[in-house]
Amino acid sequence: MTVDSQHYEPDVIERFLRSDLPEAELKNVERHIESCETCQQQLLDTAADGDWWTDASEFLIADEHDEANLTGFSTLVRPNEPDEDTSNRTDIRQIIAWLAPTDDPAMLGRIGTYEVAGVIGAGGMGVVLKGFDRALNRYVAIKILAPHLATSGAARRRFAREAQAAAAVVHDNVIAIHGVDEAAGVPYLVMPYVRGKSLQKRLDSASLNISEVLRISMQTARGLSAAHDQGLVHRDIKPANILLDGTTERVLLTDFGLARAADDASLTHSGVIAGTPYFMSPEQAEGSGIDHRSDLFSLGSVMYTMCTGRPPFRAETSWGILRRVSEATPTPIRELNPDVPAWLAGLVGKLLQKNADDRFQSADQLARLLEQCLAHVQQPTSQSLPIAAAALAETDRSAQSQRINEGWLLIAGLALGITMVVLLGRPWFVTGTSEPIDTSAKTTEPDSQSVPPSGELPSWNSTDDELNRLRGSIEKLDQQTSDFWK
Amino acid sequence: MSGIPNTRASLLLRIKDPADRDAWEEFVELYRPIIYRMARKRGLQDADAQDLAQKVLGSVASSIEGWEHDPQRARFSTWLTTVTRNAIIDTVRRIKPDSSSGGTSMLQQLKRLPQSEEGAAAELNREYRRQLFRHAAAEIQHEFEPETWTAFWLTTVENVGVTEAAERTGKAIGSIYAARSRVMRRLKEKVSQLEVSDDS
Repeated sequence: MTVDSQHYEPDVIERFLRSDLPEAELKNVERHIESCETCQQQLLDTAADGDWWTDASEFLIADEHDEANLTGFSTLVRPNEPDEDTSNRTDIRQIIAWLAPTDDPAMLGRIGTYEVAGVIGAGGMGVVLKGFDRALNRYVAIKILAPHLATSGAARRRFAREAQAAAAVVHDNVIAIHGVDEAAGVPYLVMPYVRGKSLQKRLDSASLNISEVLRISMQTARGLSAAHDQGLVHRDIKPANILLDGTTERVLLTDFGLARAADDASLTHSGVIAGTPYFMSPEQAEGSGIDHRSDLFSLGSVMYTMCTGRPPFRAETSWGILRRVSEATPTPIRELNPDVPAWLAGLVGKLLQKNADDRFQSADQLARLLEQCLAHVQQPTSQSLPIAAAALAETDRSAQSQRINEGWLLIAGLALGITMVVLLGRPWFVTGTSEPIDTSAKTTEPDSQSVPPSGELPSWNSTDDELNRLRGSIEKLDQQTSDFWK
Repeated sequence: MSGIPNTRASLLLRIKDPADRDAWEEFVELYRPIIYRMARKRGLQDADAQDLAQKVLGSVASSIEGWEHDPQRARFSTWLTTVTRNAIIDTVRRIKPDSSSGGTSMLQQLKRLPQSEEGAAAELNREYRRQLFRHAAAEIQHEFEPETWTAFWLTTVENVGVTEAAERTGKAIGSIYAARSRVMRRLKEKVSQLEVSDDS
């Protein structure tokens, strides 16, 4: 069976495919295939002929003719648009069937001591019901771990544990947890019923101004800081998990721990990435260890989305997004929205650093900086921009500001060069070859190039050429700058 | 082999009971995206394509309400499939090419010519096969370890190189080949199985 002939016989390949070989032999074939291209091809051809491979490739990928939020199949193939309201009907029906009966005809059923009045929403991880607490005469939101996750013991335990941890976070910007309980083996948690909408909904309907971006980000950072103080990492900061209380304009962070519960059940068992990875941190995308600074990256992605109307890392598939999260540099914010001040773009850029060490180091630090920035935006005359934020403006890699800076630098440099030619013409008599001037747009250090090093100064003869070349560069630059302003 | 029951044919039988929402939903799950996609390809906007799919399936639903199963006559599944396909082809061929899109290139002009019935039928077959693949993939995914599925997905669907896939999944190259081939074989089996159960 082994390889005198260098290659495996078709029937061995077939049996390998069906795992119908002794363990040791399976290993041998696999090792051989590692490097034998002939057998690699043989294996692929044996599995299915070429048409099947091309069909699979063409059919399984979602394309532009597919619905933006496919259901069912799509969850395995491409990320759904972040939308907690795309109800998974099966889940809801399952849940309603699972509720205990109630005497009240106006209610759907009962969970523990709560009457269930309706369904608020459903996401990949759970269903949120509107409940009524008779004892305290108030409405509550009851979040139930999705039934398909509840069958996983690990996910259930995690849900309960993290819900208890979340309950310990008492803060104005973190939704309170009234209680954590279990009914018929399915854990649920009870929270205040908030009349308002999620940041996601808000972003869908209108854009935000800079003050709003700062206020929402600041409150989110404060909520995060309180959670981090308890040693709790949120893991799923995204616009759908940031609630905007309708009456008080207060931000409420929700959904602590659910992401992790879902990781346990679905990610590891079925390979389905739970929910949308748009706001994941690179360390989450890579599956490496995370700490509280992962939440700061996610908040950076949320801020980017608030500033530009779209998430920083986008691709057709979940895998594509994950790859971009860990590798790509997002399009500069100010290229998408020039109204965003450079310091804010720089601040978001700092949060979106791939390396956690390069981000802000705590949510508290970020919250305090945002608070000062907000004061500045609201009262620019009396409140100056905090130095830390001003410094971030410098780091903003936004292409526009860079282009402008480079442009002006180049112009300044060329002007300096010309001035030197005119004013300091004398030393140029000294023979020497001129340093060639790089007229390409990439020039980043114009001054050093337009001022020839003192030892090698050109003669008058070459000075005319030099001037012509400088003129050429300036015209080119002029062209570029006017293109830019168009 | 998994013991997943061959449900599709019996499903179509149950659909005559309009109260059986689940059965109906599964039928819709298969045909709705086909109609939607064909409509989008003809330039309809998202909302219009959705409406169209709704309309076609609604008309199919109402036409099957009175259908009584009689083992002597044409199989219900065959009949239903025929009705649905005819409805789809009729409808998409009547879609007015999108005149708002402006351009007048030769290609666009050609696209505006009414499509032949055969052309539409071939396209429908292709779209139907697409849905079979998608359903089959969804059904078999849980049979594999996540890394195996990922290896298949990356190399086959996303056209990621084997070496890169090996790096990203932490698997050996030989194991990537094994994984993608085994998933492909299973996918092929599943698609063939769905095909048979729908045709029979």
